[in-house]
Amino acid sequence: MGEQFKRLSGEWMTPRRRFLSALYGGRVDKVPAMTLSSVITLEAMEIADAYFPEAHLDAEQMARLAATAHEDLGLDTVMPVFHSQLEADALDAATWWGTVDNWPATSAHVLHDPEDFSIPSDYLKRPSFEAVLGAIRLLRKRYPEVAIVGKVYGPWSVGFHLVGIENFLMGTITEPDAIRRYLEVLLPASMMSAHAQFEAGADAVMWADHANRELVSPQTYRDFLLEMHQQVTEEMGGPSILHCCGETTDRIDYFAEAGWDCFHFESQVDPHVAKEITGGRMSLMGNINNPTTLFSGTYDDCYQACMNVLEAGVDGVAPEGSVPLGTKMEVLQALADSARDYSNAHRPDGRLVVHDPPPSPSDENGEA
Amino acid sequence: MAQLSDIVNETVRAEIEEFLDRPEEIERNIELFSRASPAMQDIAAALIEGDNITVDRLTVQALADGVEAIEIMDDGLIAGMGIVGIKFREGFVFVPEVLVSARAMKAGMAHIEPILAASGVEPIGTVIMGTVQGDLHDIGKNLCIMMLRGGGFTAIDLGVNTSPDEFLEAVRENDAHLIGMSALLTTTMPNMARTVEHFKDAGLRDQVRFMVGGAPVTPEFGEEVGADGYGKDALACVELAKKLAAELRT
Ligand code: B12
Repeated sequence: MGEQFKRLSGEWMTPRRRFLSALYGGRVDKVPAMTLSSVITLEAMEIADAYFPEAHLDAEQMARLAATAHEDLGLDTVMPVFHSQLEADALDAATWWGTVDNWPATSAHVLHDPEDFSIPSDYLKRPSFEAVLGAIRLLRKRYPEVAIVGKVYGPWSVGFHLVGIENFLMGTITEPDAIRRYLEVLLPASMMSAHAQFEAGADAVMWADHANRELVSPQTYRDFLLEMHQQVTEEMGGPSILHCCGETTDRIDYFAEAGWDCFHFESQVDPHVAKEITGGRMSLMGNINNPTTLFSGTYDDCYQACMNVLEAGVDGVAPEGSVPLGTKMEVLQALADSARDYSNAHRPDGRLVVHDPPPSPSDENGEA
Repeated sequence: MAQLSDIVNETVRAEIEEFLDRPEEIERNIELFSRASPAMQDIAAALIEGDNITVDRLTVQALADGVEAIEIMDDGLIAGMGIVGIKFREGFVFVPEVLVSARAMKAGMAHIEPILAASGVEPIGTVIMGTVQGDLHDIGKNLCIMMLRGGGFTAIDLGVNTSPDEFLEAVRENDAHLIGMSALLTTTMPNMARTVEHFKDAGLRDQVRFMVGGAPVTPEFGEEVGADGYGKDALACVELAKKLAAELRT
């Protein structure tokens, strides 16, 4: 008996507890290293003997593949939705499922009028959902202590797929009411997806709506999505993570206002600045650069990049987005290693991580 | 030297004053617009504001008034699109605004193109544009196409997921010598190299010039795959196309 309750020290939290604590900005034994979007690579497919594109529509293969994030990369989370087609495919968009070395995508747009839209009665039973929900159930059973992250495309991004991204974006200026109506009718489809993933066993769901600076102004986020996202975070039914690609510094304040528990941010955003803007209103996880650091870089490049964000005091370290399929597992290994080493060096009582205080203004002067 | 006050259209004046920062661009635009007739300035202003109906109406009006099609294109439509491109590059406007202006440009060009075609006015060149195989990102490529057309090029759009052979076929079919490849995925970037190789194999490499672009593409990568130039954004794409077209002529 006594054995079981030994003093807590080192890495004593389960990955699942650690992730959830970090997600809410709480204390942890180790800063989690995670996958929030896909970390699947060609190498991982070999290891799991599960390959794209079959794995997108097969729960068992998807679960095996997702598990490599924990088994082979030592990450605290697994994430089984490797593509962006889950909802769109089940809503009758024409999907090209890709190849072993390429991701799926929508190949034709189907929606021309928001009033024509309805959610099919068997929506959650469509093949794309059967696979994902099945994979989450399998993962839950096989990995009770590992955090499972689900992924949902919100109505803005599903709108890109169904309506066509250019029509959709242009519509924000030429027919804003129609775009608002699209968002309104599409929202329940995204909500159903989130609820179903929680029910299947996901610990948190990442919600992607691509309203980034490369595409639209911060005002567009405010005018079209802020209020809707406030509703989403209230009614999602579990821990929520927002993903928005690209440079988002000028709209992070709105994201915090929307009530997201966490923001998964990209490498264009400076973590120090992001922390300053959010001021603890939501946690921050990210933001290791995909093309330069993970795909073209070395283990050491990745390790150093991770250390930089960890030292900025983020709540978790993860690739910024779905990693390129040709990325080497050896490089991705630096995610978990850096989180371990950083945490070992920042655990004064041996039990919980304490980040260094941010430099005072006078220190900064000295540095510059 | 022309002054800002020489430009009669208030919108155009305000645009230059508010959004242009680089001295050479300010100078070039003041020069251009002060030379343009008030009617052309009106067309440019409507295009900048994304008002396709007004551009359509003013273009028809100008043609009826006897203005040359080429003048409407250069001093009205292309001049207006030039300002939109700069505003986009500098982050004053975003993709929706550019798309709306491009739609206005199209409305005007619908009247201009048939006239130019009939009169045998040569475009600066023909560019074959496509997103490489396996890649379905096309917003950036489409913006480049709009700006190329806005810059006086004929641009043939091969769409997304373009195989090396499709590029080759299009070059043959259109007797074109400029090719623009776009890639947004690290996984599809190598297909740029494959396309260049394919042209080598077909013995056509020396007759054409390759431009590459897309967010993850770098000038170094462009060199590596054997391209002739890299463009950071849609404006750079037009500049590069002009440079390469000039090279091809010599
Ligand atoms: C919109 C978008 C999508 C849309 C695309 C819709 C469409 N019709 O294009 C959708 C949602 C469908 C999508 C899907 C995917 N995407 Co995406 N997407 C984006 C996003 C958010 C914006 C891209 C964009 O349009 N930018 C705006 C335009 C204007 O910029 P641009 O393309 O760079 O173009 C400019 C310049 O580069 C240049 N240029 C472009 N082309 C050319 C060509 C020439 C010749 C020249 C000279 C210049 C030039 O001029 C343009 C204008 O200034 C980026 C994020 C980002 N930070 O870029 C991710 C991003 C590109 N996507 C990414 C990924 C991973 C995917 C998916 C694999 C997701 C998934 N897991 O399924 C799929 C892939 C589908 C496929 N097989 O292609 C990654 C790519 C990572 C990588 N480098 O490998 C990115 C970077 C996001 C991320 N950080 O993870 N995506």
